[in-house]
Amino acid sequence: MFVPIFGFRKEYEKLRRQCRRLIKRINESSKLNGDSCSFTQDTDSPSSEDVVSARDSLSSEERIPDVEYSDDPSSTLLDGDDSSRRNTNADAKVLNSDSSDSDSSEEPEVIQTFPSGEGREDNDPDMSSKDESSPSRTEVQSKLSSEDFATWQRIIRLDAVRTNSDWIPYSPSQAEVSQDRAWRSAEAVGLKDYDHLEPCRIFHAARLVAILEAYALYDPEIGYCQGMSDLLSPITAVMTEDHEAFWCFVGFMKKARHNFRLDEVGIRRQLSIVSKIIKCKDSHLYRHLEKLQAEDCFFVYRMVVVLFRRELTFEQTICLWEVMWADQAAIRAGIGKSAWSRIRQRAPPTDDLLLYAIAASVLQKRKLIIEKYFSMDEIIRECNSMSGQLDIWKLLDDAHYLVVNLHDKIEPSF
Amino acid sequence: MAYKVDHEYDYLFKIVLIGDSGVGKSNILSRFTRNEFCLESKSTIGVEFATRTLQVEGKTVKAQIWDTAGQERYRAITSAYYRGAVGALLVYDITKRQTFDNVLRWLRELRDHADSNIVIMMAGNKSDLNHLRAVPGEDAQLLAEKEGLSFLETSALEAFNVENAFQTILLDIYHIISKKALAAQEAVSTTGLHGTTINVANLSGDMNKRNCCSN
Repeated sequence: MFVPIFGFRKEYEKLRRQCRRLIKRINESSKLNGDSCSFTQDTDSPSSEDVVSARDSLSSEERIPDVEYSDDPSSTLLDGDDSSRRNTNADAKVLNSDSSDSDSSEEPEVIQTFPSGEGREDNDPDMSSKDESSPSRTEVQSKLSSEDFATWQRIIRLDAVRTNSDWIPYSPSQAEVSQDRAWRSAEAVGLKDYDHLEPCRIFHAARLVAILEAYALYDPEIGYCQGMSDLLSPITAVMTEDHEAFWCFVGFMKKARHNFRLDEVGIRRQLSIVSKIIKCKDSHLYRHLEKLQAEDCFFVYRMVVVLFRRELTFEQTICLWEVMWADQAAIRAGIGKSAWSRIRQRAPPTDDLLLYAIAASVLQKRKLIIEKYFSMDEIIRECNSMSGQLDIWKLLDDAHYLVVNLHDKIEPSF
Repeated sequence: MAYKVDHEYDYLFKIVLIGDSGVGKSNILSRFTRNEFCLESKSTIGVEFATRTLQVEGKTVKAQIWDTAGQERYRAITSAYYRGAVGALLVYDITKRQTFDNVLRWLRELRDHADSNIVIMMAGNKSDLNHLRAVPGEDAQLLAEKEGLSFLETSALEAFNVENAFQTILLDIYHIISKKALAAQEAVSTTGLHGTTINVANLSGDMNKRNCCSN
């Protein structure tokens, strides 16, 4: 993995400081230009913001020495595979030189782009870590995308305040956060338009903003893309420390980030696998889709991008994701087919369990689709209205059944 | 996607909802199709759609409205859905200047990906937040005239002008379609009709193409 041995919290807090400076600069320049679209509250000096943000995370009162965080939280969640391990050394060098310093904010800061090694996903040779001193940071981003940090900040805030609240029952400690605390954390990240929300949701939204902004700096090629807040919200609900949630999210995004790429390579690859699974399993349904010019499976686009988060409840999502991560961890740990067959008789682990589950959800509707739907539009509507209709256990059973029967055809290189 | 079928409705018109993230596209759609408004509606990932059937000059018209993701990143997938659209509601947020400034970019998107005859209505949404207004109505009116768009300020929250906006688009589309039908019938020049010149051949060609997959 990419993270240095020490200082996860420091690295995260450094990214947060960079965010705050960027916001400040953007605000100043928008004031200068008389631009009315100011999206953050004017914050005071960086040092006092840091004090505010130190209270951001729930348990930060009991500060734990950084050495406690010697395990990479993101690799605990999604263990790094071989290729990303190879990345470790080179990347860590970049960061170590930075993080071994004191965390004085006066030093030139390093911005890290996302490590490119990502298992079976297509590696992008262009994505190497690079150092950027703070003055050129915004130029880097505008080169990478026509969207800039200011746009991301605006959309992050927009999405953060409309994140759903189904996590609340599963995170009692965060559910009980005081109004004062919630307001403070909202102020620390310049969140507005939250008057209609209860304190725990304000607090949650503020944490999402902080982490997503930091991520946009950490991985400027992706920056922020709508849907990422859907992926982060459950992680933030489970993890009470911002920096831990951040590194978990980084681990999560190692695979998911490809869905958000501007060149659409990642999403197209995944949609083509769903299409292939349906084709192998049910040629009748596939022919029907072909007739409707829907065999590219774009109707499951949202399911792929936000990993079923919109279709499943919080509890179901966590369940699916954990099963999915377990499979990916098994692969990364090098548990091959033969070893796996001794543990689990039937379905070998796959990197693409999500895609099998998505195909399964479509196959569950095969009769309806073949008999009643005569346009792609109707299938899109069906898929978009699956929210709350899915039985997660049935879905996983069906997905595993597909894995058992099709993995040789779908993943021949495995 | 504007064609005639025999039963349920006389016409099916495909309309796209476009504009920056957070301007209220999804709520305009839910207000129009279900008379609902949700302050916390989620961001649209990719595309979604809803339909509503209504009467336009005595004809039953089914409006199929495609709601698209606003973020630029999703432009590639959403623009694929412009194909076959005969109407577009281009939405900005009257409290966010940036979303109005981007209207020209959205128009360029339509020019690049949609039918050249598409009927476009610009909607300045969130008119209920007048105290936070960042885009004067006159600015928008001026732009609309310059670009040849219809224009209304709307509020999905207060159900203000949403119905009106869609009615206007549908009526404009209907006029074009019926003009086309008339032209086909008479097979003579349409000198007797008023309004802007419309490339009818293009529209009807598109109708026929779409017919097979939008039943």
